[in-house]
Amino acid sequence: MKINPEPFEYLKWSANFLKLGYCLTALPRFAYWGMRLTRPFYVKGENFLNRKIRWSLLTLGGGVLPPEELKAYRYGMKTFIDNIENALKANTSGKPVVWVEWILSSEIVGAFDAMPFNPETLNLFGNMSGQDVPPMLIEEAENRGFATEYCSAIKLTAGAYMLEQSPQPAAIISGSHPCDTNVSAYQSIAHLTGAPVFYFDAPYWRDEDSFNYYEKSMWNLISFLEKNLHQKMNWDKLKQIVDNENKFNFYLHEICEMMRVAPSPATMITPLFAWVVRELAIGDPNGTEMARLMYEVVRDRYKKGIGVAKKENIRVLWWNPPIAFFTYVFKWMEDEFGAVVVKDFIGDVQAPQVDTSSEKTMIHDLARNHLFLAMARQCHGPVEFITQELEKSIEEYSPDCLIFAGHAGCKHGWGAIGIIKDLLKKRGLPSLFMNMDIMDQRHATEDDIKRWITEFFRSNGFV
Amino acid sequence: MKTILDETRELASSTCNRYLDEARKQGRSIIGYFCSYMPEEIIHAAGFVPYRMRVVESKGTTKADAYYSSINCTFVKQCFNKALNGDFAFLDGVVFVNGCDHSRRMYDNWRFSGIDPSFLHMFFAPHVIREVSYEYFARECEKLKLSIENHFKVSITDEALGKSIGLYNKKRRLLAKIYSLRKKKNVPIKASELLGVMLAVTAVPVEQAVEILTEVKNFIEGRVVSRPEDLRLFISGGCIEEIEHLELIENCGSVIVADNICLGTRHFLDEVRTEGDPLTAIADRYLSHLSCPRMMGDFNRRFDYLLAIKDECGIDGAIIEKLKFCDIWGGEIYLHRVEAKKKNIPLLALERELYGGGAGQIKTRVQAFLEKLKNRQAADEGLVQAAGSDYKPKL
Repeated sequence: MKINPEPFEYLKWSANFLKLGYCLTALPRFAYWGMRLTRPFYVKGENFLNRKIRWSLLTLGGGVLPPEELKAYRYGMKTFIDNIENALKANTSGKPVVWVEWILSSEIVGAFDAMPFNPETLNLFGNMSGQDVPPMLIEEAENRGFATEYCSAIKLTAGAYMLEQSPQPAAIISGSHPCDTNVSAYQSIAHLTGAPVFYFDAPYWRDEDSFNYYEKSMWNLISFLEKNLHQKMNWDKLKQIVDNENKFNFYLHEICEMMRVAPSPATMITPLFAWVVRELAIGDPNGTEMARLMYEVVRDRYKKGIGVAKKENIRVLWWNPPIAFFTYVFKWMEDEFGAVVVKDFIGDVQAPQVDTSSEKTMIHDLARNHLFLAMARQCHGPVEFITQELEKSIEEYSPDCLIFAGHAGCKHGWGAIGIIKDLLKKRGLPSLFMNMDIMDQRHATEDDIKRWITEFFRSNGFV
Repeated sequence: MKTILDETRELASSTCNRYLDEARKQGRSIIGYFCSYMPEEIIHAAGFVPYRMRVVESKGTTKADAYYSSINCTFVKQCFNKALNGDFAFLDGVVFVNGCDHSRRMYDNWRFSGIDPSFLHMFFAPHVIREVSYEYFARECEKLKLSIENHFKVSITDEALGKSIGLYNKKRRLLAKIYSLRKKKNVPIKASELLGVMLAVTAVPVEQAVEILTEVKNFIEGRVVSRPEDLRLFISGGCIEEIEHLELIENCGSVIVADNICLGTRHFLDEVRTEGDPLTAIADRYLSHLSCPRMMGDFNRRFDYLLAIKDECGIDGAIIEKLKFCDIWGGEIYLHRVEAKKKNIPLLALERELYGGGAGQIKTRVQAFLEKLKNRQAADEGLVQAAGSDYKPKL
């Protein structure tokens, strides 16, 4: 492992490898068989030879994801490539880079002549350069005094910036949700980067007062960007972005709805892949095209009554965010046990549609939309925002069990653990609680997770 | 003879006290609250007694552990454990604040566990200071007022709010006066004693608190507790309520002369203005007072406070503390470290558990820090330069 990587080394590698993936998936069947036949080379574990391609191939389904879905993923890859390359070029081309922190959304920035960049990008794409890269970035931030108790997502963001792996921001947009790490860490990041920061304050409740409060903050954000980027917002561009977003959300919402049927026509990795696209480049036409293709594949299976797994043995609810360093876990469970994750915390889309008829309606609805994004909707208020969604999921998705990915940095999630456990006990749902960190393998490795899940399925008689 | 400081220490060392018993006998409800962002005036204007929640007399976290996890902080776990044990049975209500992730989940766990009291209110304090948050915060104050009125069938009038504001401002002025006496060369009250006073005056009716503070002010006039060789420290942190912890720092050879802690300056700095709409005035004060790091984008103001007080109080060094698993103070420590280095302010960062022991470890770190400060002073005085680079000052 390199201690001092070249500037932007990991982003550049990500963009280059994604380009290769983009070219190969132009022939999805070829890509599928290529990945399938070479599985012995990369599936079992990371080694010197496969470290720079393993995670990517596994995330692309590792030869388990069918060609028709690969075709959709291809458009997602295009959005990633464009986003990363534009961010890398932005500083030289004079276009300001605006960091939009991972739990927010970048429509407003997209409506400026600026480059939205998700500073948490390397939490996921860092793995493309090897499993040891994210922990190395996290350690860098810790070594330089960042609070060790922070959620690793933001520690990694700081570490990446410290090691010149992220572009210099002209401005930063951050928020008070989903957790204290966000509240605190972006104050430190502001200090580190010297960039002006706009802080969104998520209200606690979901009443009109609260939505209006958030909406007013959104208008404040526009003023903040206009002032700091020395530009006026392009409302036509915003309308275009939001139109695309509406379509994107519609397709994803439909996919999630279809996953209620047994056998499930999709596994959660599909909406999750789309979530990453949303995080990086919502409103990008390629992202919307990806969502449309995903929707068509899933709808086709739904209509034919075909499940994504050859034989659906176990329906799983996945609670808390997915594991960044082991995105393959969904396909692995499907392949190994016929276990299909039918609903999760992040991929499920519940964001309301945005009325694009006027500037006012767009901002009004975007504020509401943002508070229903993944993690925002569950984490900004009372525990009922979690438990009601959990209960609804149990009723609507007929799960056989629940896997709780207990992320180390998530203090409020762990602070409600007694309530969640009690709810699951009352519902009689077998549950696995994993103590881990979704970004940092120093807590629990891929093998630990596989072992826990295997033992859980066995001890509950699912396999 | 028992002094007023002995009495405040006694009040500080118990969960309930005779003043609260008396208030209850008079028919006044006691409302527990968390956080320096919760306006006591609103509770008081209802004729009730606001009571700052505390962990003193905690017997552990055994029961609370079933609700929380090992990565939640010891303040909330011990406090909630006390609630589950019935130690807060004298309360008629509790007002929670979204101060941090750990404490906001206490609102959920308390409701879920079904324990008394029945009046549980979540009071939202914004994380930013800007125009829209002032408006929203004022509405939250209004909601709290309505919630109390509806639940307890009482009326909170503007007149009552005005009186409460006046009374709390009086309390703030007294505290400010007492705190300012620490700026003197001869410090008349130790921080550990003052913490006892703070714990006492946040656990009794404000009318009583004013009397106590007046007595304390009179008692410490002309008193000297500092020694000439004591190093003068600033302390900053979230949850500090163990008197023994501050005594430990003081006994290592220091005197704490200023702070930015919940049960300290943040509690009394800045008054509520007495003109205009009382709820708006309350909202303005509580949102704009010396901030806790939970307020985003306000670090410069917090650090500027330290810089300002540094010269005013002749501070030799600063201690910043956090409880384990506290993201908010963890971030503040990082920022303080970076800025303190730039401004040449000696800083010691401590991490600990509330009532969690580890006194020996803390003592060693504090001693080492103070020794470093003394060496620095010796160097500043030119001793090292005069005697050569291998000179070791004998202190």
